[in-house]
Amino acid sequence: MRRGTSILFGVLFLTALGGCDGRHNWMAGAGEEAAAIGDLFLILMVGAAVIWSLVVGAAVYAHRRRAHPGLEREARLFVIWGGVVFPVLLIGALLVWGLFLLKGITADEGDLTVRVDGERWWWRVTYETPTGDVVTANEIRLPQGRTALFRLTADDVIHAFWVPALGGKMDMVPGRETTLALTPKKLGNWGGLCAEFCGGAHALMRFDAVVMAPDAFETWLAREAETAQVAADDPGFQVFLDEGCGACHTIRGTQAAGPVGPDLTHLAGREKLGAGLYEMTPEHMARWITDTHAMKPDIDMPPYPHLSGPRLDTLVDFLMRLE
Amino acid sequence: MPKVTRYDAPRVIDSGSIWILVAAPTIWAVHFLLSYWVAAVYCAKSGSGWLGGLTDPRWIIVGLGGLSIAAIVWLGMIAVRRYGGVFVVLEEITDSSEQGRERFIGHVALLLCALSAVAIVFTVIPGLVFDRC
Repeated sequence: MRRGTSILFGVLFLTALGGCDGRHNWMAGAGEEAAAIGDLFLILMVGAAVIWSLVVGAAVYAHRRRAHPGLEREARLFVIWGGVVFPVLLIGALLVWGLFLLKGITADEGDLTVRVDGERWWWRVTYETPTGDVVTANEIRLPQGRTALFRLTADDVIHAFWVPALGGKMDMVPGRETTLALTPKKLGNWGGLCAEFCGGAHALMRFDAVVMAPDAFETWLAREAETAQVAADDPGFQVFLDEGCGACHTIRGTQAAGPVGPDLTHLAGREKLGAGLYEMTPEHMARWITDTHAMKPDIDMPPYPHLSGPRLDTLVDFLMRLE
Repeated sequence: MPKVTRYDAPRVIDSGSIWILVAAPTIWAVHFLLSYWVAAVYCAKSGSGWLGGLTDPRWIIVGLGGLSIAAIVWLGMIAVRRYGGVFVVLEEITDSSEQGRERFIGHVALLLCALSAVAIVFTVIPGLVFDRC
């Protein structure tokens, strides 16, 4: 029976360890800030394990030995040094270390500045560049080895910005700005998410944090800054306008300038649809338009179930060309 | 009824009174609260100008910490002078007498003063490290 229980716990433990891998793994060390927090965690864990072992060991020792009334003075001194002086100094040192670590993460300088506005339940992303703001949504691309300063706000309720593999997290509070610095070290597509419960689709408020080589990033950013190439008589664009999509969404370079929903200028250039949820495929796009709330409940975008056949195909084709 | 003069009026913190036990932790609590207020008011007003930029809130918090610790030192002196408190750990204060009880209160008050002083230092440290909201 005992052996069976041990095996069961062993299997559960190993299964749980599987959760420590992947793109949301905060121990992946993909960013300098996450690595610093990882070091702090490791030292705290090892230190706590050592102290716990010493305390429990001392308790067991005291329980098994006979009392020595003659050693009372030594025992009192042991309690004072081990139970008062040592913890005060240790906690003080950890406090100072942790504060300086936090200060580094919440720095107000970076090689590039990205403003992120938390919305229910997506992310409005703005890159500040010398030539002006570059607006995108739900996907954050970052250059490897450079510190990105995030200036975070929220539009409606409190959200929290977290890319576990890179570092963080930081609250996004309506009416004030918080900052977070991230310095990615490893290339890859890391997962980001909202870490503060913010309502119905909170668990579906995600994004991709794509770390690129610096040159590739500059190329991407320059392309992202361009307006969309849309012909005035594009039939898909006509459907887009007829259905009123332009009232909420912006496609730069066209008359669609709605400020409510995500900017769609380079929609198909993103890897995911629906704020980090679905692969960017025509099938998902068609379903997103017609059965929106089945794919992401509670969001403001209304479904368009009446769209079907060639008209839907034309619209999807148009959106998938917005690269 | 005899008139009570300023000199023979009962003092709140004096030998026989246990108020000295809560005094030091109360200073700690008030310092904690004031630190939050100072930081909150500074952060709220720094954008509009009348307070922000004039005085770095770090020095206000350090000043508050210094005043609080000075008050705690004063309490510690009272614990020693009026209660006969001693800061010892190698002897037990167990006299079952009026004087023994008073010494015990003074002893506990001194320990609470030390605890509160450490706590105030821990509250001041973040104010020294962070220089903005």
